[in-house]
Amino acid sequence: MSTDEQDKALRREQEERLSRVWHTPPGWRYWSAVNNSEVGRWYTATAFAFFLFAGVLGLLMRAQLSVPENTLLPAGLYNQVFTLHGTAMMFLFAVPIFEAVAILILPTMLAARDLPFPRLSAFGYWCFLIGGVFVCGSIFFNAAPDGGWFMYPPLTTDPKLSGIGADIWLLGLSFIEVASIAAAVELIVGVLKCRPPGMRINTMPLYCWYVLIVGGMILFAFPPLIAGDILFELERLAGWPFFDPARGGDPLLWQHLFWIFGHPEVYIVFLPSIALLAMMVPTFARRPIVGYSWIVLAAVGTGFLSFGLWVHHMFTTGLPAISLGFFSAASEAVAIPTGVQIFVFVATMLAGRVVFSTPMLFAAGSLGIFVFGGLTGVMVAIAPFDWQAHDTYFVVAHLHYVLIGGMLMPLLAGAYYYVPLVMGRKLSDRLGRWVFWLMFCGFNIGFMPMHFTGLRGMPRRVFTYPGGIGWDWLNLISTVGAFIFASGLVLFTWDVLVGLRRRPYAPRNPWNAGTLEWLGPLPAPEYGVRSVPAIASRYPLWDQPDLMRDVDEGRCYLPDAEEGQRETMVTSVLDSHPVQCLRVPGNSFLPMICAVLVGASFIGTAFHFYWSSLVVGIAGMFAIMAWLWQGTAVIPEKDEKPVGLGLSLPLYVSGTKSVGWWAMFITLFGDMTAFASLVFSYFYFWTIHEVFPPRWPDGTPQGPGLLWPALAFCLLAGAWGAMLWARARNAAGSATGLRLGLAGAALLALGSASAMLWAPWQAGLTPTEHAYPASVWVLLGWAAAHLALGVVMQGYCLARSLGGKLTARWDIDIHNVVLYWHFAAVTGVVTLAVVALFPLLA
Amino acid sequence: MVKQENPAYGAWLLPWALAACDGPQSALDPAGHEAGLVAHLFWVMLVASGVIWLLVMGIAFYAARGRHTPWQPRRAGRFILVCGAIVPTLALAALLVFGLRLMPGLRAAGEGLRVAVQGEQFWWRVRYELPDGRAFATANEIRLPVGSRTEFLLTAQDVIHSFWVPNLGGKMDLIPGTTNRLVLEPTRTGTFRGVCAEFCGASHARMAFSVTVMEPSEFEAWAAAQIRPAAVGPVTGPGEGAALFLARGCAACHTVRGTGAAGRIGPDLTHLGGRETLAAGILPNTVANIDRFIRETREIKPGARMPSFGMLPEHESAAIAAWLGSLR
Amino acid sequence: MVLRLRERADLWTLLMPPTVWALHFLYCYVVAAIHCAKLGGISLTEPNAGQSFAPLGEVRLLVAAGTLVAWALIVIGARQAWRHWGSSLEDLPHDAATPEDRQSFLGFATLLLSGLSFVSVLFIALPAFLIQDCR
Repeated sequence: MSTDEQDKALRREQEERLSRVWHTPPGWRYWSAVNNSEVGRWYTATAFAFFLFAGVLGLLMRAQLSVPENTLLPAGLYNQVFTLHGTAMMFLFAVPIFEAVAILILPTMLAARDLPFPRLSAFGYWCFLIGGVFVCGSIFFNAAPDGGWFMYPPLTTDPKLSGIGADIWLLGLSFIEVASIAAAVELIVGVLKCRPPGMRINTMPLYCWYVLIVGGMILFAFPPLIAGDILFELERLAGWPFFDPARGGDPLLWQHLFWIFGHPEVYIVFLPSIALLAMMVPTFARRPIVGYSWIVLAAVGTGFLSFGLWVHHMFTTGLPAISLGFFSAASEAVAIPTGVQIFVFVATMLAGRVVFSTPMLFAAGSLGIFVFGGLTGVMVAIAPFDWQAHDTYFVVAHLHYVLIGGMLMPLLAGAYYYVPLVMGRKLSDRLGRWVFWLMFCGFNIGFMPMHFTGLRGMPRRVFTYPGGIGWDWLNLISTVGAFIFASGLVLFTWDVLVGLRRRPYAPRNPWNAGTLEWLGPLPAPEYGVRSVPAIASRYPLWDQPDLMRDVDEGRCYLPDAEEGQRETMVTSVLDSHPVQCLRVPGNSFLPMICAVLVGASFIGTAFHFYWSSLVVGIAGMFAIMAWLWQGTAVIPEKDEKPVGLGLSLPLYVSGTKSVGWWAMFITLFGDMTAFASLVFSYFYFWTIHEVFPPRWPDGTPQGPGLLWPALAFCLLAGAWGAMLWARARNAAGSATGLRLGLAGAALLALGSASAMLWAPWQAGLTPTEHAYPASVWVLLGWAAAHLALGVVMQGYCLARSLGGKLTARWDIDIHNVVLYWHFAAVTGVVTLAVVALFPLLA
Repeated sequence: MVKQENPAYGAWLLPWALAACDGPQSALDPAGHEAGLVAHLFWVMLVASGVIWLLVMGIAFYAARGRHTPWQPRRAGRFILVCGAIVPTLALAALLVFGLRLMPGLRAAGEGLRVAVQGEQFWWRVRYELPDGRAFATANEIRLPVGSRTEFLLTAQDVIHSFWVPNLGGKMDLIPGTTNRLVLEPTRTGTFRGVCAEFCGASHARMAFSVTVMEPSEFEAWAAAQIRPAAVGPVTGPGEGAALFLARGCAACHTVRGTGAAGRIGPDLTHLGGRETLAAGILPNTVANIDRFIRETREIKPGARMPSFGMLPEHESAAIAAWLGSLR
Repeated sequence: MVLRLRERADLWTLLMPPTVWALHFLYCYVVAAIHCAKLGGISLTEPNAGQSFAPLGEVRLLVAAGTLVAWALIVIGARQAWRHWGSSLEDLPHDAATPEDRQSFLGFATLLLSGLSFVSVLFIALPAFLIQDCR
């Protein structure tokens, strides 16, 4: 045999091995898949299904409003329909579709075989599916939430005014938010640590920048809502009066917490869609993007500024003008980076020669609609104008212009662009033009008149309206437009579901793009990239002529799966130096089982089955530990393995080098944001009350006293110190020291948590009496729960140590748990300082 | 690639802009100082936005047609700096200063007349406090003297509502536990419509009110009439209604000053017959409609606290309606 | 000013200017909110006849001081970014896979962010000088 033939035979063997390792099982075991290509497909399809469902709800609303005094939908049902329309569009479509698309295409862009935590993606998907079906399904039982998608109390906290729907909203969505945060962690770590060698921070695709920023935004935006949900459920289920003015609460607190989430959310859904345009525009302008740094400026700038806008949803709540002024200013400022973004695309087209295509048609339509929506956004950011426009159809029109122009149209452009990558075939260009014009015209016919309906006085969220005050024909036109718009979407759905199958496979790199996702053959093999190339350009397919051949012939990194393990590369953050050959876990039903158990516990709580929820929740925790036990920090059979091109990489790294450490670090950032929101609530109550904390009958300020918090502090310091000691002993090779440290830390932590809860109890603070004791209890409860979770982790480490899976050499677990304890200690100390020391200042 | 958009938008905007402004509930048909300022602001912003939109679309169209010589990257970079960053920053700064300077004027102090409005599901409890100290209660109706600034004190009993009279000025929320202030200065007389603008439950859509702006002398006469108790004469027909009103328990919730009815749960009905509308701005004020509302309360207004009194014999509800309609 | 914070540009230096903006924003909001809630005569629980409103008083001074500090920090960040960038507009787009271009890119992006943050800080400070009191 010649060397050439030997080469070919070797390559065939390698491909077979790769295929075997990454193979998705057939039959019912298919649903155990965790690979990003499968999970990403389910995720996208599910999010799209929820989108269609919410779209039908939107059409129902338009049908009801087509003529005045219509009786198609009764008031109660209409209120459920519009609540669910907004809820599903935002929580079940806009955010999940970002995660879905990112899970699907990010690894291909990074020439990675998978994301670093495939089972976490799968877990997130199953959570999303269960939570979404739970929330949407409620409408078929006439039990859907009906208080509007931002759920303002007291309408929604009063059990007489809102039924089980409010609990379904709160618990169903909290559950989904957890999944969103999980996906954000996964994507951030993916962008930072799973890039191919040589893809430095200045050469990574712009999509990665957006994913990184949006992931970070999710970490800071979603936790305040989770904190708000906790307060909300405590009020609904236990009567803790956070939002009840009669007992020292304030309904405005919820509005603050909701919109601290809600406004960044708008940018969380907008940026990833714009990111798709940032990938497409250079392809069709046939040149690299002009102003890469400007895009980074725009994405980072928008990410930050979007957190200073929340009060512009509260311009009419009577806050002082000066406060409105700050938010008005920030709302104007955020238009600057958004404008930059658009002009970067225009500049790139000016500097290139644009090839026309269906994706570009959608991109153009999105530009027209989005710029229009952006300009009305600049208008409503001016508080005096908002006092007129707020809560009217003007705002309905504005938000649909922004979301459909800035999110849906770019997403459809992305669909036309990326469907070949995912399905191997192109969508029809001819139908595509029909889809576009139906949607574009239908949209403008439907939503343009709403600006005027709103300024002529029509408030939003009305199930009907009287005739003869100037809204009749405007509404009728809107309804006609909405149905035209929907017909475009029906055509698109038909093309995806039916038309697509009739067409031949697309050629490789069908758009002549320059970025790595188009590297492989179509349809893409299950293992993804054939071998992981070294990258030296922002557009490697344009600038590295031999790249495709080298990759195909397995001449790059990781061309093989000798040990039958799923492997991908981990590199350093800034410069993408190879650090590790990461073994990612394979298919498993565990993520699904965990999601089902945790989901059942949330759903049970909504129906007040507290004990069974507790039992199921604990079972879910054990399932998660079983998953961690067999799937993470697996001890490899050897220290290092050659990954090709003469490079040998470790199979096991711990501490800051490991992806798990990064995931823990990032997750805890989100956790701290939730905690900060609770602390904010405490001080918010201080600002609205003249006397805070309230006084006991004898005139002294209420509070948990000093003794027990001081004791809790000392025990907590001891627990934290013991964890540091345990880690040090472990590093020195003493398993006994590790175990002693862990056990001691657990005892001290339990003591600290008990002292935290005993303090308000012995002081006689009753959480149902006033918002003050309720906030003290919720802060201390939060801290104590963190210590308790820390104890579970300590127990896990102890078990790992006893099971020989945690040693001085194999020490991922202890590093990650100590990291958790740093954050838990900060949480505990801040809590104790706030609840024990603040009453002294009063 | 953006072809056919520009003419389409332009052609649509014009007739709407002309035809879609007037109306009894239109922010673009100002009858008050505050609404006038905001309408002016809107037109300025609309024109500026239109120009900006056309410019951006024009540039994008030029760029996307791909028939130009490709620009040098340096030139394209300067284009981003100037058109994408500097020009928008200056424009936004100008708008921001303009908008901020408008705010103090829109929150001026009142000139003596105070109207306390409390939002209820789904109606408005109104209490007038005249500058000379006289006060009276009414419901679902606001009357204002033209040319002076009236201060509204806004709060809510059950859930959040929002008080909005588009022709007079911006809205302000009514929040339980909080009292918000709003000052409106009507500049011409007329009858307008106000609504609840914050979703407040099942019949949010059924929560409106009428606003009548009057000459100060007419307003004074109206206020003097409102302060007087209801004229309960010994007329045969309506008199029977008064007795039934008390006998059928209506008085548990409603007040009619001058009779024994002093309930506080529902709206004050003392001068119901003289109001512009019925049932919080949703029905014309006729005796037939009063009768219908008594019998079909929850059909007309889902989720209302008041039960439908369809079980009353028809002649009884008709008598009550006739009596209430006579209270002017 | 010869203030050397970091030799090497990284993601933290990139995030510094907008972080300063965020802190400045929070600071202005908190100062004004506390002033108006605690001293401003706006009682959220009692009807306010409201002929007199507390003037902004020291809020303006505090916002001005905070703005100067924020600007100073942003300028420091920008100076450092300028050094990291170390080249001119002619050398864009910094797309080579070299440590130098990585450094220049991060420097340039940080410089742009400094500009945005500087302007945004000005935007946020404006209301304190265009609005008179706590109403």
